[in-house]
Amino acid sequence: MDLTFIFAQFLSGLTYGMVLFLVSAGLSLIFGVMNILNFAHATLWLMGAYFCYTFWNYLHQTLSIALWISIPLAGLVMALIGAFIEIVLIRRIYKRELYEQLLITYALTLILGDLIKIFWGVTDKLIERPEIIQKPVFIFGAPLDSYFIFVNLAGIFVAVALWCFLKFTRYGHIVKAAVYSREMVSALGIPIPKIYTMVFTLGIFIAGFAGGIQAPIGSVTLGMDMSIIIQAFCVVVIGGFGSLIGTFVGSLIVGEVYSFSILYWPDGAMVLIFVITAFILIVRPWGLFGTPTRM
Amino acid sequence: MRKALCMVLGLFIFFMASKSYSAEEYHLGVALSFTGTGALYSAEQMEGIQLAVDEINAKGGFLGNHKIKLFSVDTQTKPDVAVRVVKDLILRDKVKALIADYSSANAVAIKPIAKEYKVLHIAAMSNSENITKVNYSPYTFQVCPNSYMQAKASAIAIAKMAKEKGWKTYVTIASDYEWGRSTQAEAVKFLKELAPQLKLLKEFWPRLGETQFTSYITSIMALKPDFVYGSLASKDNVAWMEQAKAYGFFDKIPYPGSLISVTELMLEAKTLPRGIIGLTRAPFFAHLNNKMMVDFVNNYKAKYNKYPSDWAVMGYDAVYALKQGIEKAKTIDTEKVKDAMKGMTVELTRGKLKFREIDNQLRCSSYIGVVGDDPKYPFPIYKNIIEVKGEDSERPEKEIIEARKAEK
Amino acid sequence: MQRRTFIVFFLIVMAVVLPLVVKEFWVHIFSEILIHALFALSFNLIFGYMGQLSFGHAAYYGIGAYTTGLLMVKANLPLFVCLPISMITAGIAATILGYFCVRLRGIYFAILTMAFGQLVYYIIFQWYSFTGGDNGLQGINPPEILMKAQNYYYFVLVVFIIAGYILYRIGESPFGYTLRAIRDNAERTEFIGINVQRYMHMNFIIAGMFAGLAGALWGPFIRSVAPDLCNWHHSGIPVFMTILGGPFYFFGPLVGSIIYTFLMAIVTGYTEYWPLVSGTIIILVVLSLPSGFLGVADNVIKKLFVRGN
Repeated sequence: MDLTFIFAQFLSGLTYGMVLFLVSAGLSLIFGVMNILNFAHATLWLMGAYFCYTFWNYLHQTLSIALWISIPLAGLVMALIGAFIEIVLIRRIYKRELYEQLLITYALTLILGDLIKIFWGVTDKLIERPEIIQKPVFIFGAPLDSYFIFVNLAGIFVAVALWCFLKFTRYGHIVKAAVYSREMVSALGIPIPKIYTMVFTLGIFIAGFAGGIQAPIGSVTLGMDMSIIIQAFCVVVIGGFGSLIGTFVGSLIVGEVYSFSILYWPDGAMVLIFVITAFILIVRPWGLFGTPTRM
Repeated sequence: MRKALCMVLGLFIFFMASKSYSAEEYHLGVALSFTGTGALYSAEQMEGIQLAVDEINAKGGFLGNHKIKLFSVDTQTKPDVAVRVVKDLILRDKVKALIADYSSANAVAIKPIAKEYKVLHIAAMSNSENITKVNYSPYTFQVCPNSYMQAKASAIAIAKMAKEKGWKTYVTIASDYEWGRSTQAEAVKFLKELAPQLKLLKEFWPRLGETQFTSYITSIMALKPDFVYGSLASKDNVAWMEQAKAYGFFDKIPYPGSLISVTELMLEAKTLPRGIIGLTRAPFFAHLNNKMMVDFVNNYKAKYNKYPSDWAVMGYDAVYALKQGIEKAKTIDTEKVKDAMKGMTVELTRGKLKFREIDNQLRCSSYIGVVGDDPKYPFPIYKNIIEVKGEDSERPEKEIIEARKAEK
Repeated sequence: MQRRTFIVFFLIVMAVVLPLVVKEFWVHIFSEILIHALFALSFNLIFGYMGQLSFGHAAYYGIGAYTTGLLMVKANLPLFVCLPISMITAGIAATILGYFCVRLRGIYFAILTMAFGQLVYYIIFQWYSFTGGDNGLQGINPPEILMKAQNYYYFVLVVFIIAGYILYRIGESPFGYTLRAIRDNAERTEFIGINVQRYMHMNFIIAGMFAGLAGALWGPFIRSVAPDLCNWHHSGIPVFMTILGGPFYFFGPLVGSIIYTFLMAIVTGYTEYWPLVSGTIIILVVLSLPSGFLGVADNVIKKLFVRGN
């Protein structure tokens, strides 16, 4: 087994990890700040992918950069929807019991899943790639789908943007503080409800944007959310809720484990990921980079 | 005179009264996977079925007076859901026959239920051989070429190519579910017989509905096989071909004999690689010399504004096979219809075909061709079609008897 | 006390008489209600009595179903023997997996149970040679006399009444009350000398065993089993039923099962968008009926029977 081959597997694992990161970043953020485990996160991600398709479909006859516009547009539309959901529904469950919160976000998955079916139908949506990303590129002899370069860049961009947001902006500081202690932030006179709305909206924006990024990979189909939400949970558990670095590292771990498992133990790829997740939950429940006080 | 007149009047009134007494409706159930990977095919098959039902009802229904009422349910590509919704169809909607399913696992789960409740079951899309080979049910009929037939057909074509091009090694990539497994197993077996010089390097088993094929693409390219044999579910096959194309896969490694149905030919018209050798089950353009097919295509186009896919053709054929069974039995009574259909030769869009007695499998053909453009259609079709007839690709009766003995 | 025994007696009479007067389709629904109610009752041991949310309870349900399925199809064992064996295998799984789960609380407990649930699902799904993988197993036929819908229903009813009674006695025993103490304040319970983890573990095992029993009844009912019985969607069903009926009442899960199963049977006759409908109902119930339907009924009865002050 030569080095080029291993490098190729590494690259595909890296890319898959980036996709997972884009999905999980919002999930981790929302849980970190608001303690809500958003079951519906992947379904919102999927909706973003569908919106991206719709925008692309509408624009691509006239605009050559249709795809590149549709992706952030999808993010924006989902941000609006996210804000709507937060105001109408999520706001009511902050003070509720855990099981009520889980059930409500679970119910949201059901509802949104059917809404997608109603509005977009059951057929797969395929986005035709623009010229520039139709041929593969070769990195040290290892082939890579050229679109994946964009995916990796997008993942890194989101990670860096979030990091800067948290470290350098006032809102970012408030969010970080809120992860640590809601009461203190509130006591300092900062309106927690507004912060929550903003964080949720941001989380869903990232999800929608991630959906847009996903859309040109393969096709957009129903049920994609179900398979990825579980992996997103694993990522966030392994990395640690509320930790940006944790989510990033967790995604890469899951991505690479999956990619190399396919080679040696294809049947067991998902089993292995669950074993790792369970192991972390048992040995270090707050994840690799999370904080124990969150328990 | 008056008495005669009264009698005639009486007869006339009696005749009119019995005419207005409407005959029993025929409840026909459709249980397909309207959600999941088979959603599009299921929708297309439903269109074929609906067209057939409309045509038959326009003439009064089965036997001229049993209007068909359609009941459709979504099995969601899950066997437990399939069993539950089929039970609903049978107990609540009282269907006498049902057409099911897309997923072979579902069809296999539905078979014993249909048998238990004595309801006709016609499989028109799922084609795992297990639907007909073992656990024989006199109520289940298959109008789609089964996985054995398809595998043999593609293996015959590939063996020929291997000899011509001097291929030595190959790799298989198959969707990890019933159909993928049985098709791959049969193909490997045939290739061993027909082209013993070939060596199978490695088997890959992506899960059903896999959307990310990158790891598989790179792994296969690293192995440098002479060709790749694919048994991927149609949709997955499209994703696979899309992604592999981006790696320049098909420039280096031939990919013959995978299932590319007419649906994909139409949907992926712009992106499907031309020159690929594919396999399919019921392409309309292979039977345009048959009047029934021509009429069907025209009516389908008129109603739905597109051309029919394999699934629509087989759904249509399924309903007409049932119709002819009922006409032969001269009744809608399920017991008599099932006996009539056994071993029956039916006239379908795909020609005059017979249900083999031993397993109720329709002796229908498998079709292999080269993907190429045709000015008549806005999508590529198969050129140089090789039609492998049912009787040339079916499993020998002897083996079926043995297999059934073994399962006891 | 008297009122309760009267209600139970009335319910049993209804349960016995109803199937004789309705169409076969509804008899199937009744069997489904009872099996799911048993599943939900077992879940409620962990949730209502012990205060933890398990989102992976379907793992034990699925293991029970597959145990019975495999034994009946491959070893031709009679159903009556398979039922207790299924309880044992589900119990063993609950012992192993539960050992880890009870070390966690709250959301981590929930996520770990879900992760284990998915683990079991994937193992069953991938172990094609043994479990049939995504095909599932077919041909799980109960003995001749039970093939008829009505007879199988009475069989399920008998098992349900016995199992339900056992669960009731467990809930009302000192063990049950210790669980409630753990639910209300685990720390304090630890302080008075109770080994909280051991009690939680024991409870988890019992809950797993009865979920396995429910699963064992389900396989022969639909004549097949599939890996989907273990996935987290299936785990959500007892959660929803219990919330719907009321987690703090013993009969809550049963009431929830009746409402949910009836609703599903009726709604799916009209629309394919059952997830949309059920999702909306879940949200409405969770937001406005914190104690479920029985909670509402309780309030209504209190208002009806308490006059004046």
